[in-house]
Amino acid sequence: MGMNRRFLLKNLMRAVNQLDPLTSCVTANRPIRRPILLSAFYNACLSARRSCSTVAELQPQLSPDLLKMMDQRLSAIEQRSACLQNLMDRPDISQTEYSRINKELRKLRESMELINELRAKQKEIDGLNSMVKECPDDRDMLDMVNEELRQAMTKEKRLQNSLLKSLLPKDDADERGCILEVRAGTGGEEASLFAMDIFRMYERYSHKKGWKFEVVDIMESGLKGCKEASAAISGAGVYGKLKFESGVHRVQRVPVTEKSGRIHTSAVSVAVLPQADQVDVHLRNEDLRIDTYRAGGAGGQHVNTTNSAVRVTHIPSGIIVSIQDERSQHMNKAKALKVLCAKLYEIERSRIDLERSKLRSDQIGSGDRSERIRTYNFPQGRVTDHRVGITSHAIDDILMGEDLDVFVDALLLQQEMDAIASFSANQ
Amino acid sequence: MEELNSHGTRQMKVRLTGFGGLSTFIRPPLHRLKSTPCALSSSVLFSSSSPPASQSHQVPLFLRVPKYATPVSDLQKWYSWASDLAASVGSTFLVSDNGPDSSLLCRELRWLLEDALQEDIDPSLIHQVGVNSAQREVNLKTGIEDLYKLWIQRIEERRPFQYIVGCEHWRDLVLCVQEGVLIPRPETEIIIDLVADVISSNRGLKEGFWADLGTGSGAIAIGTARALGGCGNVIATDLSPVAVKVASFNVQRYGLQGVVEVREGSWFEPLKDVQGKLAGLVSNPPYIPSENIPGLQAEVGRHEPKLALDGGVDGMDHLLHLCQGAASMLRTGGFFALETNGEKQSKLILDYMEKEHRGTFYNAKAVPDFAGVLRFVTAFRV
Repeated sequence: MGMNRRFLLKNLMRAVNQLDPLTSCVTANRPIRRPILLSAFYNACLSARRSCSTVAELQPQLSPDLLKMMDQRLSAIEQRSACLQNLMDRPDISQTEYSRINKELRKLRESMELINELRAKQKEIDGLNSMVKECPDDRDMLDMVNEELRQAMTKEKRLQNSLLKSLLPKDDADERGCILEVRAGTGGEEASLFAMDIFRMYERYSHKKGWKFEVVDIMESGLKGCKEASAAISGAGVYGKLKFESGVHRVQRVPVTEKSGRIHTSAVSVAVLPQADQVDVHLRNEDLRIDTYRAGGAGGQHVNTTNSAVRVTHIPSGIIVSIQDERSQHMNKAKALKVLCAKLYEIERSRIDLERSKLRSDQIGSGDRSERIRTYNFPQGRVTDHRVGITSHAIDDILMGEDLDVFVDALLLQQEMDAIASFSANQ
Repeated sequence: MEELNSHGTRQMKVRLTGFGGLSTFIRPPLHRLKSTPCALSSSVLFSSSSPPASQSHQVPLFLRVPKYATPVSDLQKWYSWASDLAASVGSTFLVSDNGPDSSLLCRELRWLLEDALQEDIDPSLIHQVGVNSAQREVNLKTGIEDLYKLWIQRIEERRPFQYIVGCEHWRDLVLCVQEGVLIPRPETEIIIDLVADVISSNRGLKEGFWADLGTGSGAIAIGTARALGGCGNVIATDLSPVAVKVASFNVQRYGLQGVVEVREGSWFEPLKDVQGKLAGLVSNPPYIPSENIPGLQAEVGRHEPKLALDGGVDGMDHLLHLCQGAASMLRTGGFFALETNGEKQSKLILDYMEKEHRGTFYNAKAVPDFAGVLRFVTAFRV
């Protein structure tokens, strides 16, 4: 399988790079989805049950056009870095000016290190190439030089891929934890039951990944389903993986309540928000109103209660968050603030998105909530993700949180390819 | 067990007689109980190697060793019975004396299960019905009969939930509590926020001696010590020897024995050595008017210590006593905070300070809690 997989990957990347759409996809309204190529690739992987790699690990041959565009960007970075360094060396520089320049230099430092390594490697390759020209007859020498050349070029490719990755637009929010919200849509009680199934699926997936899964609220429905459920999931890179779950999940199965064995279709909508803290959203205490339930009477020593529910109102935006299931008022308040900050952060991010280029909002993971993203068909035992055209036939495993990585990895790869496309478009 | 459930637990009397036969029905075989010395469960908690000679503090449920192997089906039976019992209460307690209703009791039941179950098991397993669950066993931190007994106490005797599980979650702490110690109230959490605000802008106060008078479980003392961040010291006092033991235990559990000193005695008497030196003096003294004590919610009136509740006529006795002594205890610029019954008492204290101790305090004000009640009085020593 290893050989086949590499072969498939190489072919895939070659096809991707040769596709003129890298530039022409910009003119179309939506970037071209390449579900057929990805489907074939991933179904092959699925049968070997291996998880899929991302661009940087593939080390494909980058197209000459892409390399040229990259080189232009790299030169621009080199120039900027040199210019900043000059400014910093001036004797009459002020403290604020110095720290501002230092901050920008720090951001560029990682790229600069890679660029310097790349330049050095390219110089080495030039040197080796000229050595080949100089002694075409010396067999042993030739062999040695060619061997070194091959190693150097492999390293060069790796550096180019790393640099490409560092140049691609990144979402800072990817590193954060998230707030997950699951809501039963059309389909009545059956939708509520499936909403609970999906919620538990994410809980198991989180545990498998070693993330912390804290239930924020569950609004139960009749038969052990839930109308709405939300959780705070914490860990490194949680949002980057779970953001693709935003959207409508459709389920086709025979409901437990159905006597005649007819298949019903219902829907559940999922929203994933990156966690934020009070600093991110510039939250001020003056903007908050905090209420607790007032027991009839004096409260305090007069009352023994386990009800420490807290309601936090953000006055400027009108957002209200109520939390009641923690065992202390302090913890209820902390959770409410966590959810409030995530909501405020999401509002701010949506606002910024509207201002950015349209290309970003068309990309995967942008969180169009009403997009139907996945169908779970129980009679046929399959789950299909419509964005990447991947189907898994292990529906029970998926609901146990076992195989979600199949979709997540494919979506991450799609995201990177879209990012490359937008990078090319912006040169 | 089926009989018990089908009765629907509608009539409490019937259930009582039913329970008499229950204990013989569900007692687990002796070989299931692994024998462990009693001292083990508390000795693991102390940093020193030997446990104290007299242990008049009880080990809370969540800290005990999960050594009671119990079939899941037994646990499910208990949970189902307990849920029905909670549901049968409806709003009767609420109406009679502002007690808990069924939904609060159901949530408490969930927490009781959480505390009783071994750590690495998901409590929601209780809801999984299946062929396999009957064969599976879990380890509980107390016997299943004890769980029946505890829940009966909760519903029949209105024994407070916090005494049942032996702990109270307060702020970001879990404090051990037992009969004889006042259960820390959610409102009191705010005192720590007030302290934190004051020391954030005042390094001198952060590094000084603080006192928590009538510490009970040690809640305010521990919260204050953590706010001081290792810079200052806290002296916690209480008249009750039980409170002193429990507070000491909690202090030790949070590793604060170098920062918080617990002393037994009445109000200012144990504090003669720091007279005039305190950077801060905080207290949640008993403030319920004596005439209100008989009509209190059953959980409070029947089970919590009167010593921690009764404030005399108007509930003002101890509040005024503390105001009188604060001036001589605090150093210049020292911070003073009291919790009260609400608006009336707060205003009385502010008036008293203005009239009888004019020029001693500045910036005296009443601060509301999250329910909008003017519950706290704060001031600075001139």
